[in-house]
Amino acid sequence: MLLTAAWVLGLIVVPQLRMIERAFIVDQRGDEAALVATEIERAYARVFAIDQDLLRAADGAAAPTAPSPFAPSPSSRATGAASPERTAALEAEKAEAQARIVELEAREAEIQAADRTTYALGNFTGMSRIHAWIFVSTLFYALCVTVLSFLACYPVAYAVATARRGERVALLMLGLVIPYAINELLRIFSWVMILEKQGILNGALDALGLIDMAAGEGVRFVASNGAVFVVMVYAYILFMVFPIYNTIETLDRNQIEAARDLGASAWRIHWRVVLPHAKPGIAVGAVMTFMLSAGSIAAPEIVGRGLHPDWFSQVIYRRFFESSNWNQGSAYALVLLVACVVFVLVVMKLFRVGIRDIAK
Amino acid sequence: MDGNDVALTGVSMRFGDFTAVHPTDLTIGAGEFFSILGPSGCGKTTILRMISGFLDPSSGDIAIGGRSMAGIGPNRRPTALIFQNLALFPLMTVWENVAFGLEARGVALADRKRRADELLALVALDGQGGKKPTELSGGQRQRVAVARALAVEPAVLLLDEPLSALDLKLRQHMRAELKDIQRRTGVTFIYITHDQGEALTMSDRIAVMNAGRVEQVGTGDEIYDTPASPFVATFVGEQNMFQGRVASVSGGTAVVDTALGPLHGVARGGLAAGDQALVFVRPERVGLVEADDGEAVNRVDAEVERRDLEGSFVNLFLRAGDQRISLHLTNAGAGRDVVSGRRRVGFRPADAVVMGVGEVARE
Ligand SMILES: Nc1ncnc2c1ncn2[C@@H]1O[C@H](COP(=O)(O)OP(=O)(O)OP(=O)(O)O)[C@@H](O)[C@H]1O
Ligand SMILES: [Mg+2]
Repeated sequence: MLLTAAWVLGLIVVPQLRMIERAFIVDQRGDEAALVATEIERAYARVFAIDQDLLRAADGAAAPTAPSPFAPSPSSRATGAASPERTAALEAEKAEAQARIVELEAREAEIQAADRTTYALGNFTGMSRIHAWIFVSTLFYALCVTVLSFLACYPVAYAVATARRGERVALLMLGLVIPYAINELLRIFSWVMILEKQGILNGALDALGLIDMAAGEGVRFVASNGAVFVVMVYAYILFMVFPIYNTIETLDRNQIEAARDLGASAWRIHWRVVLPHAKPGIAVGAVMTFMLSAGSIAAPEIVGRGLHPDWFSQVIYRRFFESSNWNQGSAYALVLLVACVVFVLVVMKLFRVGIRDIAK
Repeated sequence: MDGNDVALTGVSMRFGDFTAVHPTDLTIGAGEFFSILGPSGCGKTTILRMISGFLDPSSGDIAIGGRSMAGIGPNRRPTALIFQNLALFPLMTVWENVAFGLEARGVALADRKRRADELLALVALDGQGGKKPTELSGGQRQRVAVARALAVEPAVLLLDEPLSALDLKLRQHMRAELKDIQRRTGVTFIYITHDQGEALTMSDRIAVMNAGRVEQVGTGDEIYDTPASPFVATFVGEQNMFQGRVASVSGGTAVVDTALGPLHGVARGGLAAGDQALVFVRPERVGLVEADDGEAVNRVDAEVERRDLEGSFVNLFLRAGDQRISLHLTNAGAGRDVVSGRRRVGFRPADAVVMGVGEVARE
C-alpha cells in the first residue's frame, strides 16, 4: 500500500506536476541560456579532443606506431613523431578553451541568478501557426489510426470470439500475441523493411511483374502518412482486438442466431446486435489506440524519416532535445494530453458510452 | 391454414462419427401442436435446428408447405425459433424486440410500432412495449419471445423447451396460454420438451425420441396406453414392470411366466412362445383386491411397504420378493386405503402391455 503510494507519487504525480509547472514557466532569456549551455558543452568536447591528441603525441614519442584508424580527424595532423612545437600549440589551445569554459559558466550562473522565471501562458500562446496546425493534424491522424484500427480489428475480434473450436481460438490468439513478444522497435523496423523502396512489398510487386525494380521503379511507401498509419494500426492492434474480443465473447450466440432466424442480414445483425453489445469494448480499444497513436514518437520518426507530415509528438521531442526548450516542450505535451482527454470524452459522449460501461 | 405442414423424409444428422439423429421420417400437419419428447441429449434440439435451417441434414430432405428447404438459410425460411433461453435482445426495448423481424424486412417505423402493439396485446403485454426485457418477469419475457417470433408471421413456430426456466405455477399457466395462442393463430407449433406432462397436456400429437431415433408418434392417449417400445412405456408416465418368458400368445393376448406366476396382457409387436418379454401395467390400473374375489388371472400377493399421500391420489408401494409394485389409488377419504401386511393386488389383462425386451428409460 505504502509502496503503491510511493510509486504513484514518485513516478507519476511529482514528474507530472513538475512538467505542468515547467509548462507555465516563461523564460524570456531561454534562448540565450540554451545557447550558452550548448557552447559550454562544445568547449568541453574540444578540451577532451585536445587531451586525446596530447596523450597520443606522448605515446608517439615513446614508441612510434602506425596511426590509429580510430583517431579523430584533428589528430591526423599529429601523425608521426610528436614535435615539441605541436605539443605546445595543443597546450595553448587547451588553455584557451578552458578559459572560455570558465567565462561561459560564469555567464550561465549569471543568467540563472537573474531570476527571470515567471509564470505565464507564453508557452501556450507562443505556439507557432505551423505547430498549431501540426497539433490539429495529429489529432486527426490519431483519429484516422483509431478508425482504421477499428475497421481492421473488429472482424478479427468477431471471428476469434465466435470461432467454434478451442484450437482456432488458441491459434488466432497466438498469431496476435506472439508478434507482441517482439520488441516494439523491431516490429516497426520490420515494417520499414517491408515498405521500403527496395523492400519486400516492392519486391513482391516486382515479382508479380507490376513494377520493374531494376529500372528504378518502385513505390515509396515509407515516408508517407499511409505507411505511418499502417505501422501504427499494427503496433496497437492488440489494444483494439482484446477489448472488443472480450465483449463479443460475452454475447449470447443465441442472440445472433435469433436475429438471423428473424430474417436479419449479416449487416443488420452486426449493426443492431453485435456492435451495440460490443460498444464498451470498442470504446476501450478506441481510447487506448487514440491515446497511444497521438503520443507515439517511434512510428512517425522511424517510418516517416522526416519526409512525411510531422506529428505533434515529434515537435515535442524536438522542443526537448533539439531546441533544449524544456518549458515549451512541457507546455506542448500538456496541451496534447489535455486535448486527448477532452477529445476522448467528447467522442464517448457522442457515442453514449459511459465511463461505467467501460469499467465493466 | 395451408402451407404450414412440415415433412421430414430420411433426415439424419451426423457430427463426425457420432450420429445425433438417425434417418427419420416425420409428417407434421398444418396448424398442429406437435411435441417432440425425449430425454436430454436424444437429438431434439438437433432436429429443431435442422428444421429452422441452422444445421444442414447429413441426409434426407425437409419440406415446409411442400417446398424443399434444402439450401435455404434460416433467415429465409417460413419458420421462427424460440430459444431455450429466449435470446431476447437486452439492449432493445420490448417493442423493438417484437418488431425486429419486421425491421429486418424493411417495414416502415409506424407500421412496425402498430404491429408490435397488436402482438403485445395478443400476448397480454399491452403497454409494456417501452420497457427493457430485463425489467419484465420470467413469464412476461416468455411472452415477448412468442410475440417476437409471431411478428414475422411464420408458418411454423419452433419452440425449444421454452418453459423450462419457469417455476411450476407459471409453467402451467404458460402452457394454457401457448395452447391458446396456437389455436388463435393457426400456426403450426413444433414444441420440444423433456417434460412429459407438458407434452401430454398441450399436444395434438407427440413424437417420443430416444438416442437419435423417433420411437413412436401418436396422440397422447396412444403414447400413454399403447406404447410402441419398452422405452416409450417407461419414459412416459410411471410403470410397473415384470420380466419373464412368453408362455403363449393367442388372440392378441400373451401370457408371460414371471417370478410371480403367469401374467396376462395385450401383446405388442411380434411375440412368440419362449421369447424373453416385459409386462407393463400403470400404477393407477392396479388395484387392491380381496383375496377371495374368485378371479385367478393377474393376481399377486405382496407386502405393503409404504403409503405416500399425494392429495387426490395415494401411492402405495408393495414388495413381492424382488419385485416392487406401486399403486396409485384415488383418495377415497377417511384413510380408507391405509393398509398393512400382506395384501392381494390385481389388474385387468386389457390394462397390461406385453413387449419384447428392450431399452427402458432410466428413472
Ligand atoms: N455441434 C455438435 N457437434 C457434436 N455433437 C453435437 C453437436 N450438437 C449436438 N451434438 C450432440 O448431439 C446429441 C444431441 O444433441 P441435442 O442438442 O439435439 O440434444 P437434446 O435432445 O436437445 O438435449 P437437451 O434436452 O439436453 O437439450 C448430443 O449427444 C450432443 O452432444
Ligand atoms: Mg436441447
